[in-house]
Amino acid sequence: MFRHGEKIKKLRKLFVSLLSLIFITGFAVTSNAKVLVVGQIAEPKSLDPSTVTAVNDFRIVMNIYDGLVRYTDGKLEVEPALAKSWDISSDGTVYTFNLRSGIKFHDGSSFNAEAVKFNFDRMLNKDHPYHNTGPFPLSFFFSAIKSVDVVNANTVKFTLNEPYAPFLSNLAYPTGLIVSPAGVKKHGKDFGRNPSGTGAFKFKEWKSNERVVVDKNSGYWDGKAGTDAVVFRPITDANTRVAEMLSGGIDMMVEVPPASLSKFGGSKFSIVEQAGPHVWFLILNAKEGPFANKKVRQAANYAINKQAIVNDVLEGTAAIAAGPTPPAFAWAYNNSLQPYPYDPAKAKALIKEAGVEGAKLTFYVTEGGSGMLDPVAMGTAIQADLKAVGFDVEIKTFEWNSFLGEVNPGLEGKADMAEMAWMTNDPDTLPFLALRTESWPDKGGFNSGYYSNPKVDDLLNRARSSTDQAERAKLYQEMQEIVQEDAPWVFVANWKQNAVTSNKVSNFSLQPSFLLLLKDVKKN
Amino acid sequence: MNYLLQRLLSAIPVLLGITIIVFFIISLIPGDPATAILGSYATPENVKLLNEQLGLDKGLVQRYFIWLGNLVQGDLGRSFALNRPVLDEILERFNATLILSGTAFILCSVVGVLIGTISAFKQYTITDKIITFTVLTGISLPSFFLGMMMILLFAVNLQWLPVSGMYAIYGGGDFLDLIHHLIMPAIALALVATGVVARITRNSVLEILRQDYIRTARAKGVREGNVLFKHVLRIAIVTILPILGLQAGFVLSGSVFIEIVFQWPGVGRMLVDAILKRDILLVQGGVMFVAACYVLFNIAVDLLQRYLDPRIK
Amino acid sequence: MINFLKLISRNKLALFGGILLVIIFVVSFLSPLLPLKDPDVIKTSDRFLLPFSEGYLLGTDHLGRDLLSRLLWGTRLSLLVGISAALISATIGSILGTIAGFYGNKTDNVIMRIIDVLMAFPYILLALAIVAVLGPGLFNAMIAVALVNIPFFARNIRGVTVTIANKEFIDAARLSGMSNFKIIIYEIFPNILPVIVVTISTTVGWMILETAGLSFLGLGSQPPQADLGSMLGEGRSALIVNPHTSYVPGAMIFLIVIAVNLFGDGIRDALDPRLSKGELVKPQPVTQIKSNGNVENKSNSFLSVKNLTTAFEFDNKLHLASKDVSFDIKKGECLGLIGESGSGKSVTALSITCLVASPPGVIVNGSVKFQGDDILKMNYEQIRELRGNKISYIFQDPLSTLHPLIKIGKQLEEAFIEHNHQKNKEATLKGKELLKLVQIPNIENVWNSYPHELSGGMRQRVSIAMALTNDPELIIADEPTTALDVTVQAQILSLLDTLRKERGLSVLFISHDFGVVSQICDRVIVMYGGQIVEEGKTENIMSKPRHPYTSQLMECVPHIGFGKRKLPTILGSPPLIIYKKEIGCSFASRCLFKKDNCLNEDIKIVRKGDSEVRCLYPHE
Repeated sequence: MFRHGEKIKKLRKLFVSLLSLIFITGFAVTSNAKVLVVGQIAEPKSLDPSTVTAVNDFRIVMNIYDGLVRYTDGKLEVEPALAKSWDISSDGTVYTFNLRSGIKFHDGSSFNAEAVKFNFDRMLNKDHPYHNTGPFPLSFFFSAIKSVDVVNANTVKFTLNEPYAPFLSNLAYPTGLIVSPAGVKKHGKDFGRNPSGTGAFKFKEWKSNERVVVDKNSGYWDGKAGTDAVVFRPITDANTRVAEMLSGGIDMMVEVPPASLSKFGGSKFSIVEQAGPHVWFLILNAKEGPFANKKVRQAANYAINKQAIVNDVLEGTAAIAAGPTPPAFAWAYNNSLQPYPYDPAKAKALIKEAGVEGAKLTFYVTEGGSGMLDPVAMGTAIQADLKAVGFDVEIKTFEWNSFLGEVNPGLEGKADMAEMAWMTNDPDTLPFLALRTESWPDKGGFNSGYYSNPKVDDLLNRARSSTDQAERAKLYQEMQEIVQEDAPWVFVANWKQNAVTSNKVSNFSLQPSFLLLLKDVKKN
Repeated sequence: MNYLLQRLLSAIPVLLGITIIVFFIISLIPGDPATAILGSYATPENVKLLNEQLGLDKGLVQRYFIWLGNLVQGDLGRSFALNRPVLDEILERFNATLILSGTAFILCSVVGVLIGTISAFKQYTITDKIITFTVLTGISLPSFFLGMMMILLFAVNLQWLPVSGMYAIYGGGDFLDLIHHLIMPAIALALVATGVVARITRNSVLEILRQDYIRTARAKGVREGNVLFKHVLRIAIVTILPILGLQAGFVLSGSVFIEIVFQWPGVGRMLVDAILKRDILLVQGGVMFVAACYVLFNIAVDLLQRYLDPRIK
Repeated sequence: MINFLKLISRNKLALFGGILLVIIFVVSFLSPLLPLKDPDVIKTSDRFLLPFSEGYLLGTDHLGRDLLSRLLWGTRLSLLVGISAALISATIGSILGTIAGFYGNKTDNVIMRIIDVLMAFPYILLALAIVAVLGPGLFNAMIAVALVNIPFFARNIRGVTVTIANKEFIDAARLSGMSNFKIIIYEIFPNILPVIVVTISTTVGWMILETAGLSFLGLGSQPPQADLGSMLGEGRSALIVNPHTSYVPGAMIFLIVIAVNLFGDGIRDALDPRLSKGELVKPQPVTQIKSNGNVENKSNSFLSVKNLTTAFEFDNKLHLASKDVSFDIKKGECLGLIGESGSGKSVTALSITCLVASPPGVIVNGSVKFQGDDILKMNYEQIRELRGNKISYIFQDPLSTLHPLIKIGKQLEEAFIEHNHQKNKEATLKGKELLKLVQIPNIENVWNSYPHELSGGMRQRVSIAMALTNDPELIIADEPTTALDVTVQAQILSLLDTLRKERGLSVLFISHDFGVVSQICDRVIVMYGGQIVEEGKTENIMSKPRHPYTSQLMECVPHIGFGKRKLPTILGSPPLIIYKKEIGCSFASRCLFKKDNCLNEDIKIVRKGDSEVRCLYPHE
């Protein structure tokens, strides 16, 4: 009997060790290491900053790479990063950057003017040998660049086609982060899985749908990171993310579902909030159907109870939007703008005036996506509000990417309205890409509702090429008034992004740029 | 050996059929991968350009043969959305699915056959009634609902088990850690299949008990326990084996929901994402891979059955 | 139909499921008429109210919509979708399956290969892909679920169709010039309908779950429309803070599916012929005994059976298989038990050690004294000790009575090991010795063979060897030679005869064949309709049968050397014995010498000399 038991024990041992041979992937962090685990909303697409477009990916790459410039902590203003300083020619078309010297990429190669040139040529020049490592969807941020020239090892000169006000701000955006040319040459298309930058953390491993791990870069030029490593865990489902946060599986989560914020009261967690340049709106099809009439578009703005959406559906995680520009761009925001009040009676009157009572509308709703907050619930609430003023609204839901595939080519012939949200780094971006006549879908823009007002076009073009911020502010403020009156969109909400951290985490704050900077975060 | 070869050969037309269906259904899905790659900033112009780059402007049939040709050479192409070779991604994720579905499958086979047999043998006793009722409850619960409830109870409220994922992010990574993470998803996944297996086992054991050779065993004075384990169970396993082969398919399908609910890094979740993102090559490669595994698994079941049942020759 | 309902209502659980289902159906389908709130009206300030809040019986969801109203509307939708999906896939699947099964050959091959291909897909991914192609929406989700389940139906129905298509009545229909289409409609379809109904009833629940799954993933119903899956999906995002929004639809899905399953099981059971025959009830190791134990048996014979009455119980009615059977066997004696199939001889033989499958078998009365102890009063363990030890059996057709998956050697050792608590080694020695005894050549080979690898004669020798394992004192041989051809039969008989004489065994030899019985038995009992009709010494009965049945039975024996003579048959068929007071001779209806008073009273068995007969007018 005894011997029998021995045998079983031995067998069991063998079995366990065999199994562990098969399954164990060799990942273990010593328990006293300071590791910060961040709950991400999705698996990153790539860690090559030149190729990514989603905030979710930005949150990782911002910690691996540096740009020439960066946003000042807590602001949307630009400060030096890899560039110590810069000069702008008086006509606003030549930018000369003086680079920090002695900085190495994580792969050991040196950061210098050549590397900067490589980065921008790779994105912009179709004949560049590594242009095929793209595509680079956001390269139009830099479409104003005519050429990038190496002056010497530590000086690089950008020449623009025309003055372009948002240029520095765009350089601070993740698309402007500098990647290691050696890394790109070595890994080619797979660089996105083997990233190498100059940032405070260096890439360690990426296990599909499990984690991305980055280690402290002990040779970082701007002081060492406060933690030994950061693990980014993709947890697509918000609810699971909340559960993980509650049970201690992660130390920090972003985009907390509004309804679950109440669970994080108490002293075990702290909630961090930060308003940012975000606007959530409905694109109205101004080309055809009821919304071709301005009165009906205004009626929609009156009909929707934004207060209820912001306070109840979003549990106060957003504020009512007044116009196309979020108040986070303080200098460009028109403070005199008042949101459309909730006034169903007035809406009904306008609809009656326009003679479109009881119209049938098709409404494109997404299931979720970058900055879309709680799109199905919001869409359903909007549908009910519109029903109350006599519109018969049919919702069609799409997964985010198919949604974009439907909306970006324009709503004509398909839908009367669609949800949309943008997070931008400059007051120029959104209106320039989505409100001008020149940015109708067939011309390569995102004006999917075909809004057109020559006055707005003119204001935007002028604001973009001016380098005087005060002048730009005036132009944007005028634009906001016109657009609000024209109501090409229903302006719904400006999001206050939020995050929850466990009480072990300190020194953390959210940035108005929506970027996640983890260098100074400490974990006890 | 010959039989194995013959079975493998006969699997080829099935696999070929699978390639056709996979390719054409997936290709019919509206929307295009270029939009997925370019994200929010996809303009119709860029989309068109990128589609040309990806070779998606070619005819469907032409693309099928290109794809098939590559497939035969083991090249499943490159995932648009993940920007990496499809095969790499599948292999990485398949391990996780294999662990989850494999555990659930073993669980449902062993537990299902066992409680089915016990329930038959103790027919109409309280044990039988409890088992029958539990099984019925099990097969009536949507696995995703069960998974949600389990998370709520065991992970969030009691904090006995981890909420999601496959390994603890730190301090974990060993076998025990895996088991810890595996318990809830494996049980949630196995439950329905266990119920089905138990029901079928119960019926076939009852049928077997009526067979003449069982009467012979009893006439020999064989103890009931031995009748059960030496005589009944041996036949029962052979009868149930093909059912288990089918269950493997159900378990694999069910793992899609479970992987989503428990954020398990497996192939099922990958494929759902890939379908939604129109990541055509990843879907085609992944579904192909899973289907081929299923076909091979059933060949293995066949072989096992031939081994266990000497009458089939 | 009424019968069918009766059958279902007999099963309490099915009845419960059915009632639950009816309630759910009625309530949810009446939801447009019920005084409910509008399921789509949003009142965000009332969001996430708990159940039993004022005005909201089940609380509200994340937009402040009334959960009760949404639940009922959603249930209605889910049921509609699940049932439609089941009907669609059942229709298409059955058509494909019938065509494949009926036409066979290439048609079958092509269809089944396509089905194979479809079955190789994880169905949920296939459904997802189909929804992705068609676009989201509950209708499309239903189509997808219906499509992916077609293979399942096609497969099931094909199997059944193949069996039916090979039956005689289909051939007959063909010969009568019916077109294939008509055969399918009028002959095949009515026969596969029950299977289709059963398959639908067992899969509706599954379909509801699958559609709910698609909706759960956000691919089903579009807002604000609710079905149970999308409610669960919406509830999930508030699972931790407001779990009631998940409980409510989750519980409803559970209730529906369990009701469908219970009811479906009921339908299946009602339509399954095996169940009504009690074939899916576990046979107990010992026949149930309902004897009042009043039979007095003072016999001191080696084996004494007295008034043994065994019945089969169906629907609480007893159908007698043997009635008041009494006989003795002396030590070393071979008693033949003869009769047509259905005469109750096998039941009698099995009743001796309580081996009649029970249920449905019941020993209603009698006593079986073996070496002075009444077996019918023993407990299971005592009976088991006798079986295969002091009393062993040889059965007809060893192909079905030997375990098909266990090697001969193992089967031979088993009885030895069970009764002697000895190690395998001795058992092996003993087993091989026995094989030698029954004159099996090439013992090692046979030892490692499976039953199906041996010839019929070999198998029967193995059975005999098996019966001899523990040196039994009584062997009950139930038609041991019936399945064998004449030469082998003779060999086996002489083997049995030699062995019994060498070992002084008592044998109860059951047969329907006088020729066989005459070769081996000392005495013969003739049974008819569950009763002994004649008993006597073999040579006496052979030369001078007294009961008309015996003589007619003997006429049926072919005599070697008499050439091709037309064998006479007994007119009519054996009676069904039902437990009621029967009056008169049970053979009367087939008897050529029947007289009027044969049916007036029960016929007693009458002893005359050393023989007995149950007949008013026996041959003298």
